[in-house]
Amino acid sequence: MAKAPEEFIPLSQATYYILLSLREVRHGYGIMQDVSEISQEEVKMGPGTLYGALGKLEKQEVIIKAEVNDGERRKYYKLTELGKQVVQLEYNRLTSLVENAKEIIKELGGEKDGD
Amino acid sequence: MGIKKFRFFLASDIEKEEAWLTEMSRQGLHFYKYKFGMYYFEEDPNVSYVYQTDFHQQVDDAYFQLYKDASWEHVTSYIDSFHYFRTKTDNPGIKKIYSDAESAVESLKRMMKMYMAIFLSLIVIQIALLLMWRGSIIDYFSNGIVFSVILLYVYLLSTLRKRIKYYLR
Repeated sequence: MAKAPEEFIPLSQATYYILLSLREVRHGYGIMQDVSEISQEEVKMGPGTLYGALGKLEKQEVIIKAEVNDGERRKYYKLTELGKQVVQLEYNRLTSLVENAKEIIKELGGEKDGD
Repeated sequence: MGIKKFRFFLASDIEKEEAWLTEMSRQGLHFYKYKFGMYYFEEDPNVSYVYQTDFHQQVDDAYFQLYKDASWEHVTSYIDSFHYFRTKTDNPGIKKIYSDAESAVESLKRMMKMYMAIFLSLIVIQIALLLMWRGSIIDYFSNGIVFSVILLYVYLLSTLRKRIKYYLR
């Protein structure tokens, strides 16, 4: 029995980006490249970190293997319905964290040029 | 020309071993084989590698393919659990196979689980040996050996625990 999407929240930074990158079917290295791109080079993932995360996420049914035959030994993955819900929930959580802090940060003078 | 060096590292010293292999490589000696505490190096002054070791049991082909795609060359594996990788020092990618604390901890926990299982079987052996105690020289000898190994494991497990705690600070 898979866990409820709420039980995965909050996600680690690595997991969040892996799930975002699996909006399309990708293999391991493809995920590393995409994560680096969508995080604007901020997140560089090591293969040890990624391999461990993929195994765990697959077991938790957040992602699933995709049937792709590239003639190589690579494994391809994509999000499951559960995975889509998890990443959406985390996005909502992060948005509300930022929204709730907006006025306060302005007061603190954190926002240099207010709009 | 190559050389070999004898060194003893506990599994909990995996980072010290990585640092040593990387430093040897900086001096032009590149690790390629391990056997019974003996490290084999081949000489090439023109390259330099960063070495990293991953502990992972039951890995598949996709595992090695992923490292290869990410520019990590598989050097050798030890008891199918410790996998040595290296990447050229001038590669632009990151030089760590574990890029965050969470995953580094998980790898240490996997290691801890295996050594805990061995530790428990050693305890069972020690108890069995004590139950068969007859006071002969062989009894002293075998109990002494098993007991020393148990002490070594106590040290190993407590070091692993410290490392896990360090990451979880």
